Amino acid sequence: MSQDIKKLPAGSFERVHIDSTQAERISKPSMSFWQDAWLRIRKNKAAIVSMFILAFIVIMAFVGPMISPHDADTQTITHANLPPKVPGLEKLGIFDGVGTLGGKEVDLYEMKKVDTYYWFGTDGLGRDMFSRVWEGTQISLFIAFMAALIDMVIGVAYGGISGYYGGRVDDILQRIVEILYGIPTLVIVILMSLFMEPGITAIIIAITITGWVGMSRIVRGQVLKFKNQEFVLASRTLGASNGRIIVKHILPNILGIIIINTMFTIPGAIFFEAFLSFIGLGLQPPNASLGTLINDGYKMIKFQPHILLYPSLILSLLMIAFNLLGDGLRDALDPKMKD
Amino acid sequence: MAEKLLEIRNLKQYFNQGKPNEVRAVDDVSFDIYKGETLGLVGESGCGKSTTGRTIIRLYNATDGQVIYDGVDVHDKKSKKDLKTFNRKMQMIFQDPYASLNPRMKVLDIIAEGLDIHGLVKNPKERKERVVELLETVGLNREHADRYAHEFSGGQRQRLGIARALAVEPEFIIADEPISALDVSIQAQVVNLLKELQEEKGLTYLFIAHDLSMVKYISDRIGVMYFGKLVELAPAEDLYNNPLHPYTQSLLSAIPLPDPNYERTRVRKSYDPSVHNYQDGEEIAMREITPGHFVFCSEKESESLKAISNSRL
Amino acid sequence: MEKILEVKDLELSFHTFAGEVKAIRGVNFDLLKGETLAIVGESGSGKSVTTKAIMRLLPESSSEFKNGQILFNGKDLTKLTDKEMQKIRGKDISMIFQDPMTSLNPTMTIGNQIMEPILKHRKVSKSEARKVAVDLLRLVGLPKPEARIKQYPHQFSGGQRQRIVIAIALACNPQILIADEPTTALDVTIQAQILELMKDLQKKIDTSIIFITHDLGVVANVADRVAVMYGGKIVEIGTVDEIFYNPQHPYTWGLLSSMPSLDTAEEKLYAIPGTPPDLLSPPKGDAFALRSDYALKIDLEEAPPFFKVSDTHYAATWLLHPDAPQVEPPLAIVERMKKYPGSRYYEGTKGGSY
Repeated sequence: MSQDIKKLPAGSFERVHIDSTQAERISKPSMSFWQDAWLRIRKNKAAIVSMFILAFIVIMAFVGPMISPHDADTQTITHANLPPKVPGLEKLGIFDGVGTLGGKEVDLYEMKKVDTYYWFGTDGLGRDMFSRVWEGTQISLFIAFMAALIDMVIGVAYGGISGYYGGRVDDILQRIVEILYGIPTLVIVILMSLFMEPGITAIIIAITITGWVGMSRIVRGQVLKFKNQEFVLASRTLGASNGRIIVKHILPNILGIIIINTMFTIPGAIFFEAFLSFIGLGLQPPNASLGTLINDGYKMIKFQPHILLYPSLILSLLMIAFNLLGDGLRDALDPKMKD
Repeated sequence: MAEKLLEIRNLKQYFNQGKPNEVRAVDDVSFDIYKGETLGLVGESGCGKSTTGRTIIRLYNATDGQVIYDGVDVHDKKSKKDLKTFNRKMQMIFQDPYASLNPRMKVLDIIAEGLDIHGLVKNPKERKERVVELLETVGLNREHADRYAHEFSGGQRQRLGIARALAVEPEFIIADEPISALDVSIQAQVVNLLKELQEEKGLTYLFIAHDLSMVKYISDRIGVMYFGKLVELAPAEDLYNNPLHPYTQSLLSAIPLPDPNYERTRVRKSYDPSVHNYQDGEEIAMREITPGHFVFCSEKESESLKAISNSRL
Repeated sequence: MEKILEVKDLELSFHTFAGEVKAIRGVNFDLLKGETLAIVGESGSGKSVTTKAIMRLLPESSSEFKNGQILFNGKDLTKLTDKEMQKIRGKDISMIFQDPMTSLNPTMTIGNQIMEPILKHRKVSKSEARKVAVDLLRLVGLPKPEARIKQYPHQFSGGQRQRIVIAIALACNPQILIADEPTTALDVTIQAQILELMKDLQKKIDTSIIFITHDLGVVANVADRVAVMYGGKIVEIGTVDEIFYNPQHPYTWGLLSSMPSLDTAEEKLYAIPGTPPDLLSPPKGDAFALRSDYALKIDLEEAPPFFKVSDTHYAATWLLHPDAPQVEPPLAIVERMKKYPGSRYYEGTKGGSY
């Protein structure tokens, strides 16, 4: 605490009038919750990379088969089990059509006298892997989309009604959910194979029966939390109807959680289809899905690893990307992390 | 004599009635609120003051009793139209500035909600103007309308809550612990604002709080609640100068004041309900001891209280 | 009087998403043996951060000591490792927090929670520790301690839990007890009981207390000395009588005037306009100037140093500079000063001057 009183310029001690309304100004730029979330997620490199990967995969799923010179279904037996060969990259020593045959490295394209390029190689029936893999990805993405849709439509509505109205309604709806939760989706699929052909429809129906339960529980919890918040009570005292409260007050606040949850359900659904197809309860040949391709591929893993490699790679990337994106979204949308 | 705006008669709010965990949050409470006055309602946690406020405004349905607003029973079966009229006349300000505003809505929409629900404006331009008018009334300004709740401080948010309540032009406002969560210097801002608004617009307030000094400052009359019962009701000055119910005395003796000399000599009284020693069959009710000063007591107690009050005069 | 703790020129910042928040911008104070120092301030003033800094409880990854020392028992606490701090926490310096509901572990008996610091810091047997725990419970006024020691926190009321928290804090007879708003969450009558308990215990154990609060009534009740914080700095420090009856800083004036007193009927409460400063970019000069009726030109340029009012009373305001104009404090403050010999307005003898 210095005691030396320094000399200060004259006029320093003039009284100034402070405009107190200046004190009410908010200087930071205004940002909505979503703008804020976007800024946060931009800083999460893993999430951004995942977004690009997903975008790439989605685009390729549709563009891939179109740009490939070969058809996904055409079987050319003479071209069976060819390793990948890409013009341009072959000069680097990779993607050059060389595989092992009888322990030796051989250019199989030369050997079988094939003069077209198969970018991801061919499978046992001579079908172009490149087109097949992307068509299979289309199936997986379709499943993903349907799972998300069912989650959002049924899961949110169910959980929302249960949570908002409470009481008897809640009790009944929750008892039903508990029963559904106890039934493994796999069992449902098996039971359904008694009535219908295994395939996309069967899988979708199975997911429709039980896939939304997790979301409904989370939504119910969130709705319970928000319906007693003071801003909802304030709305009620203003005379808001239930509909208005749900749509304008509760939904916007739980949208973040819904999105995050969907991000995590999707990889589960994709993997579920792949798994079913792998064990034979999903898509049937000649339909291609990532699961059936992996099934085909693993039998040949020692000799033609490329048949297994590409579908596995795409599947893994899809799963990892959705999970990382979901993590990033959770961090960005978490309301507790205010600046 | 001022006219009555609100009559509360034998209000009861029991949770889990009949079950072993029954909670009698509001246990047979009666009082009146006159037009233009501020009635303070104080008590410690669990006494039922907030529940009383929320039951009056119909956030909860009363277990029993009547809430008569301007001559009309509020809890009766009402048509949607009646309820809407009622919603306009009675409004509420909440305690938690962080939970009472929707984090996803712009301030413009938060304040205009009442206008939207009741169709009080004709077009977006009029809506915006009305909101700006309200913002200025509470000491904020036009540019705040496009911002989000989280950008404001606690005190500013409480003012937004007040603006929202004022949008529907109410006559009566229940303020449920509106300043408890605010810093001391900000409390003064909000309290001053409430007082100004009361004068300008002729509002009637029910001010629920546990900060007794602030309640005395803003209230005309004050009611003290204890475990669901109203134990004393008197004009503010009377209550502080002449507290009659032993619980009120204990409560007042426990308040620390920003005055070290006073604090050195303050003696705290504690309250033990058994001090009343009520006998079976004794009727305990709100009795008028001195004009306007009511105490929840037995016949016997009221005699001795009257004697004490007379000797103090 | 002996100094137990010396905080010198403390500066601390948080590295947040939005930038560097300068939470503590130069705090100086001492704590004397056996006294209660109250730190008063509002949200964002830095009072909680200061005490957490003393205990080194702030997250290492996002907080940084930019300057200063915290001297205790010959060591600078800002320089110690976490392991070294663990030997001090709970033993030499203890802390109690605001919310009794979350301060206790719901899955441990209160007996175990009280014994935890005893077993850690004092080399005693379990049965010895249990005996000490029972004695402590009795000391804090909990009836039937031998039976209740086996109970869990949810079986106690809020006030009782706070007593248990105090018992845990005092288990090892700490030299310093830091109480961070210990009664804010409690009802007025329970608060009064807890404050009485703390004062009682302080006498018995001879511990020094740093008491953080925003309630000036509580300060008047418990404090020997008071430090008023604003915008990350101490703006005024003095004995409790000096602060309440002869305050010098406009912020202190504002705080005291915005509380209604029980005996005078006021027309309008004085309210400090505006809101506390944004510590992401603290204002140049006196942080309070923007909200003050008494701002001087120099306030906008340079932050004031401490000016001495008495040996125990210092205030950081340019109004105390010899060249500053004499200002009239708000009416409510003048009323207070009238009772204080040594203030300008003292009614009685020839007015004191400084």
